[in-house]
Amino acid sequence: MIKIENLNFKFDGDIIFKNANIEIPKGKITVILGANGAGKSTLLKIITKNLKSDCAVQNTFKNMFYLPQNPYYPSGITVFDYLSFTFFKNGWKWFLNDSEKEKVYNVLEMLEMLDKKDLNLENLSAGEFQKANIGLGLLSSAELFLLDEPASNMDLINEIKVFDTLRKLLYDGVTSVLIMHDINLAANFGDYFIGIKKPYGGFLKDNGKNTDGAVIQAEKDKFFTKENLREIYGIDFEILKTNGKFYIQIVN
Amino acid sequence: MIRSGVKKRGIIFLILLAGFSLSLFLSLFYGLEAPFESLIAVLKSVFGIANNAYGYNTDTGVILALIRIPAVIKAIVAGSCLALAGMFLQTISKNPLADPYLTGLSSGAGLGIVISILLFSGVNYSIFGFLGALLSAVVVITLSGFSKFSITKLILIGLSLNLFTSSIISFLILLNPDKAYSMTLILTGGFSSADVSNRVLLLLFIGLLFICGLFIPKLNILRLDTRLVFQNEHTANKYSIIFVILAAFLTSLAVYSAGILGFAGIICPLLVRLLLGGDTRVLFFGNILAGSSLILFSNFISNNLIYPVQIPLGITVAIIGAPFFVFFLLKKGGALLK
Repeated sequence: MIKIENLNFKFDGDIIFKNANIEIPKGKITVILGANGAGKSTLLKIITKNLKSDCAVQNTFKNMFYLPQNPYYPSGITVFDYLSFTFFKNGWKWFLNDSEKEKVYNVLEMLEMLDKKDLNLENLSAGEFQKANIGLGLLSSAELFLLDEPASNMDLINEIKVFDTLRKLLYDGVTSVLIMHDINLAANFGDYFIGIKKPYGGFLKDNGKNTDGAVIQAEKDKFFTKENLREIYGIDFEILKTNGKFYIQIVN
Repeated sequence: MIRSGVKKRGIIFLILLAGFSLSLFLSLFYGLEAPFESLIAVLKSVFGIANNAYGYNTDTGVILALIRIPAVIKAIVAGSCLALAGMFLQTISKNPLADPYLTGLSSGAGLGIVISILLFSGVNYSIFGFLGALLSAVVVITLSGFSKFSITKLILIGLSLNLFTSSIISFLILLNPDKAYSMTLILTGGFSSADVSNRVLLLLFIGLLFICGLFIPKLNILRLDTRLVFQNEHTANKYSIIFVILAAFLTSLAVYSAGILGFAGIICPLLVRLLLGGDTRVLFFGNILAGSSLILFSNFISNNLIYPVQIPLGITVAIIGAPFFVFFLLKKGGALLK
């Protein structure tokens, strides 16, 4: 579980978070929603300590894996090497042992990339590169995945496969936090939702009316209401619920 | 596919090894009579197996023991150190233009040498070059470590220090026109007159190589987006700083053995990367071989092209290295130019 209390964060005087209390539950897929510039990526950077904040972040997860929005795209590395380099993190070894090699092969098989293992990264499509990045996460033995728009370059089929993988990982004790833009997809795959408000017409200023920290968080059923979505995005939505599934449309 | 890659690497390693052996052979034995018996005798005397006097009995023995073997050791140390330092800095900065002297080391070393020539006469200026290089590295790394470390900051501070110190060197040369010629010559690099203890040099070199060897696999991680492996950049920065410090030591050792040799440290790592791919475990050995070969061969040309005049080594390195590099860059520079 991650618990952040009284989070205050400013960018050049623009208030991103004010007295926000944020909780990320264990064993669920949490989706962070919000408009551009609302602070979704900032929240992940605060959790991973890429950004400094003065509030305390309670973190009970053992290891984290963080996939930033635009990871650096190296060239001249094969997919197999790319994944195996993560094992050099610990110890002083020069070569992978057999069990580590097997782990790499298993992950490649899981991602359906075995036939691509000897290809250089620059010969992969953007979606395949992103799959390889998620492979790094699968090898990292992390208990928490923080993924910043992991599916931004993928086709729908691969996107769904990645979400299915994350769902399976829940059984192995891996909690996932995702940033997404497609509300319908989010409603389909997420369990728990954090909506970061960006009041229509600009950021909250110090004298802004919102004092609850500009964050809405709830389980799926309570989260997807017209009022909540309006507060997050500033526009009106139509929400249909059939057979426990949400269908969300914009009202013009 | 992977097999052909391994085979290709093997062939390139064989070619590098052949180039190294050829340069070594020429540097040691060119123009000598009965070189092999003398070499064995000298080696025996070095390891204390034979009577010390025996190896030095012949002219060849004297030349080998007092001139050629020390020069070869210095060339190998300088070449490997510069190539490795260049590889470290290019890898961590993800920038092919990074070079061992980027961190202000060359002009630091130059200032040390110039001051030693001006203040003392007949002194061992290699030591001052070494100290100057180390000191400037300390200054640059400390300054770039303030608040938040970043490679870009390091490079810019190194660049500033380089400009600053170079200006002081030019000013000092201007003030002392009588010593200007000798100072300029020394700043171009070369180890004919460098007075260095070979045992100390070898000991430092092997020790440093061992430490580098420990960290080499971790250099591979720094080729990726480090946030994917360490979550945040602070841990990765720790490794970056370790590699900058190693590069500073390597460069200082190169300055200690051969003075300031520009160019080798930027060309060798790039050339080896073009030929062998990006895996730092492979590049480690490739750079040691290529760096030593380049400096050995350049030194051979320096000594023999317009004998008995000795061309400053720095000039030869650039004249041999630059066309060679451009040839391979145009031929197969795809991955590098991206």
